[in-house]
Amino acid sequence: MSMRTSAPDGNHAPGSDTGTSERHRPPRRGTTFRESMLGRIRLEGEDHDRPVRLDLRVAAERVLRPLGTTPARLEGRIRVAGWADDPDATGTLEISPFARRRIRYRIDFTADGRRLSLDGWKSISPRRPLASMTVLPYTLYEDGRAIGTGTVRFPLTTQLLPFLASFRFPRREESAPLHAPRWDGTPGRTEVWYTTATDPATGTGIWLHHELVAPSDGSPAFAHGWAAAFPQDGPVRHARFGPTPWTRPAEGFSGDGIQAAPGQLSGTAGEFSWKLSEQPTDTPLYTFPRWSWRRPLLPAAQILPAARARYSGTLSYDGTTLTLDGAPGASARIYGHGNAHRWAWLHADLGDGGVLEIVAAVSTRPGLRRLPPLVFLRLRHRGRTWPRRAERAALGWAGLGRFRADVALPTWTVTGRAGLRRIRVEVTQPEDRTLALDYADPDGSPAVCRNSESADAHVLLERWWGRWRTERVWTLDGTAHAEVGDR
Amino acid sequence: MNPDTPHGDTSRAAVCTSATRLRAPHGGGSLDGLVAALLADDGATPWPGRVPRRLETVLSSMPLPARAGVRAAAAALDGFALATTGRRLSALRPDERERLLGSLGARSALLPLFDVLKVPVLLAAGTERMLDHGGSRPGPALSRQDPPLDCTPADAWPARSTADAVVIGSGAGGAMAARTLARAGLSVVVLEEGHHHSTASFGRRTPLDRFTELYRDGGATVAVGNPPLLLPVGRAVGGTTVVNSGTCYRTPDHVLGRWRGAFGFELADRFDAALDDAEKTLQVATQPLDVLGNNGLLALSGAERLGWQAAPLRRNAPGCKGSCQCVVGCPTGAKQSVQLSVLPDACAAGARIVTGARVRRILVERDRPGGPRAAGVRVRREDGAELEILAPLVVVAAGALETPPLLRRSGLGGHPMLGRNLSVHPATSVAGRFAEPVTAWEGVLQSVGVEEHHSDGVLIEATATPPGMGSFVLPGLGGELRRELETSDRLATFGAMIADRPSGRVLGRDRTLLRYGLDRRDAGRLVRAVRAMGELLLAAGAEEVLTGLPATPRVRTLDELDAALEKVNGRQLHLSAFHPTGTAAAGADPQRAPADPAGRLRGVRGVLVADASVLPSCPEVNPQLSIMAAALTVCEAHLEGAEAAVAVSGGIG
Repeated sequence: MSMRTSAPDGNHAPGSDTGTSERHRPPRRGTTFRESMLGRIRLEGEDHDRPVRLDLRVAAERVLRPLGTTPARLEGRIRVAGWADDPDATGTLEISPFARRRIRYRIDFTADGRRLSLDGWKSISPRRPLASMTVLPYTLYEDGRAIGTGTVRFPLTTQLLPFLASFRFPRREESAPLHAPRWDGTPGRTEVWYTTATDPATGTGIWLHHELVAPSDGSPAFAHGWAAAFPQDGPVRHARFGPTPWTRPAEGFSGDGIQAAPGQLSGTAGEFSWKLSEQPTDTPLYTFPRWSWRRPLLPAAQILPAARARYSGTLSYDGTTLTLDGAPGASARIYGHGNAHRWAWLHADLGDGGVLEIVAAVSTRPGLRRLPPLVFLRLRHRGRTWPRRAERAALGWAGLGRFRADVALPTWTVTGRAGLRRIRVEVTQPEDRTLALDYADPDGSPAVCRNSESADAHVLLERWWGRWRTERVWTLDGTAHAEVGDR
Repeated sequence: MNPDTPHGDTSRAAVCTSATRLRAPHGGGSLDGLVAALLADDGATPWPGRVPRRLETVLSSMPLPARAGVRAAAAALDGFALATTGRRLSALRPDERERLLGSLGARSALLPLFDVLKVPVLLAAGTERMLDHGGSRPGPALSRQDPPLDCTPADAWPARSTADAVVIGSGAGGAMAARTLARAGLSVVVLEEGHHHSTASFGRRTPLDRFTELYRDGGATVAVGNPPLLLPVGRAVGGTTVVNSGTCYRTPDHVLGRWRGAFGFELADRFDAALDDAEKTLQVATQPLDVLGNNGLLALSGAERLGWQAAPLRRNAPGCKGSCQCVVGCPTGAKQSVQLSVLPDACAAGARIVTGARVRRILVERDRPGGPRAAGVRVRREDGAELEILAPLVVVAAGALETPPLLRRSGLGGHPMLGRNLSVHPATSVAGRFAEPVTAWEGVLQSVGVEEHHSDGVLIEATATPPGMGSFVLPGLGGELRRELETSDRLATFGAMIADRPSGRVLGRDRTLLRYGLDRRDAGRLVRAVRAMGELLLAAGAEEVLTGLPATPRVRTLDELDAALEKVNGRQLHLSAFHPTGTAAAGADPQRAPADPAGRLRGVRGVLVADASVLPSCPEVNPQLSIMAAALTVCEAHLEGAEAAVAVSGGIG
């Protein structure tokens, strides 16, 4: 076989010029699904076919448009018996069953040390809907030269249900707009931008807290905050800045030479000075219900514009200069009437794309103050967020099955069960790695916060399968970011 | 395969034949009787007995209506014999058959029907007689090897592939388009429904065998109308250029002027350079006299006596050996059909040819911003399986008869003028009987052009037929026909084609259906053409002229000819037609022209029309050079446009 057709046109992304009205507003939801196909390939120079298996994860940036064309990204695994097994294949998918009557797969992978690309498409025919939707003939290229052809099929009997069940339509949000100030001039409000990170080189925890306070008595709003470092082998250091009049910046926090805008953090406070760049590596995470951020009906709400971020740059304090290079962490936002009556907070970067965010709080409002802590727990793991709704952990089913928190120091715990999973989180904030700070609400009432950016955490995730079986265990040794507050 | 074996057919043809027999158990018997009656077979010589088998082969390659028509006529004749004599034709004695045929031949209304019936019988009989009289001459040793082509059968082509450009059709237009695009650096795939035939393969087979294989519908493509026209088109790598006569006329200046002025076909301005390029590629030169043959020499001498303007034609056959087999594939490789001249250049530049690939549809992406856009083609292999090739540029060069149905089944047939505006060159032929043998099939097939009446739209060309394939419908039935056949070496044949008004239409989606209504003006031109050819033959010394008119088949003087022509109009002549053009014409008026002045199909982006269908009107001469120039200029204009777009956008992102 000697086929030299042109290579899959790399400079032409599928459907790259589709869509006209969506240009102005990014789509609010994407689509993800999984697909497995089995088949055969005949390689150049061979006299027999080899079995092939494709296991693909597909992610589109918009909800599938059945009548239009949806471009998507592919990741997954390609196996060719006796020749290739690449778990990190990537590529593109052009889903256009009606408009173009084509579902085109282009996958780049490695076999035997060679970079190969597979290019094929299902050609949808109304006369043979089933066969044409499931059969994918393809050609395999190396450096633009065809080196094999084959066909894979989607096995309806075994794969249809998993395929349909795998469909998700995750929200898609940009993190930058979520940094913009929320305060609308109403007295008695507080707004916080805070960033926590851990320097992987030294193990030092970092906390940059920027706060806007609009006092309840109607006096002018002011900005203040602090920076703190939690070195592994030394005492916790911190320095406050402000108060300084609030200047209503367009994006993020700005005041007294301190800046916390999307993508960059800089400033000088006492012995601290920092200049960090922020690179979001995940989508926003709503710790509280999404509606509570859009409409401030709850006493306060917290979000993470990006569930995970990477920080690079320098931070100096007391003669020590930390040079960060992609240090893991996250920025968070709080907007509301003030601090809770009692609260606990955890941000744990679990590695491998996982993140756990917990806020357990007791409201200051009369009546609500007597209730046990409302637990807002969000575990993002393998691209999914559990529980799917924030209300599930806090309220359960009218209170039944809600997650529980036992807030104490130095160790506090959260437990809960939703669906077929249950979790137990144990956070330890050692005394010597904890910084106690005085807080003040807009109405002037005080609170005390005990924060550690180098806390320990143990997370046990179990899944019910006849009995409770351990699904994952994470142990964070000095890299968890946690806080407990009370009055 | 031994060329002398009379039944040396391909196994496929044999299968077809046997299948046909299974369906029509009495067909063979009827054909036996028909052949025996028409050729007055008295058993004295063996070759007429082999004609029915040969006829079966010819019929098997023809479309169903033609096949069914011949069989029905044969069965009707058999039935008539049964009704009048109680025996079938094949069971009658020769003299009884002759009487029966004589009684039918006396009815003038039946004569045109007999003439139609005679065509396949004469083809089969001519070949068998030729084989009996020493067979086809063994082809002269090949003077040159075919230049290499990159041909892949569709069965071996991957089901999914991509290219920068797909060219549908490998004829004059497709080959030129493929070469132009490939030389510009694009990866080009040429799709051809037919197969590749090497020059060596032509030398091994009889002309008739090649005829049925190289032509679409076995050469029996018919335009329905009054009168019906036979419109043969080639189907092979090289398209109709494999089977044309090799005559290469440049597009006349007045035609170019009309295209530019009346139709707004701007590319006509570039034709001069493009025609030069095409002529150079095809090595076009005036045909030397040494192998011209008696047919051409008689035309020259007749014209000289009349003082008419005539000369050997300019042809693309350097070193022509005068095999007189142009129309069934040149057996010496002298004729520079595009598969020997243009396509090798295209392949050298990287183009690839897929054979046995019928394009089902052009794939169109309708959700592209800016309107529908071509994305590639879906192709049917001969085994019925389909393959797809994605390409952002699709060049349609399927020929004027196949391009409109292809566009229709691709959902691109919305333009009201698509398929209309069909010009053909209606043509008729006249034979002259000379005292001495002419042996017209020894020499150049189409040798001399007589342009005396070209300004009136009549172009006379001395055109012979390949050995054993007399296309001229000889007069008479039975014994008379047999005598004509036995003395056909004394015939010289001239053909004339006229520049017609666009009176035809290509219908159909999956199969082409042609309609053609001969214009009154054109009918008159045809009659004048017959008179001019008769005059020429008589001037050249012909004893009698075979007019092809059923009522007056023979005339001996010009006066007799005039008298005979007074009573007929053009519709009663034996007409065939060649050179279909104009069915997806380019022009400035969006209402009248399906393609824009640069040859881009309107209503979709990424589709170029680069074959005879893009010509705005009849080119009035043999069109190979015009088609090649059109394809070249259309593709060059596209490439310039693409370059300009890249320059504006600052490069491809």
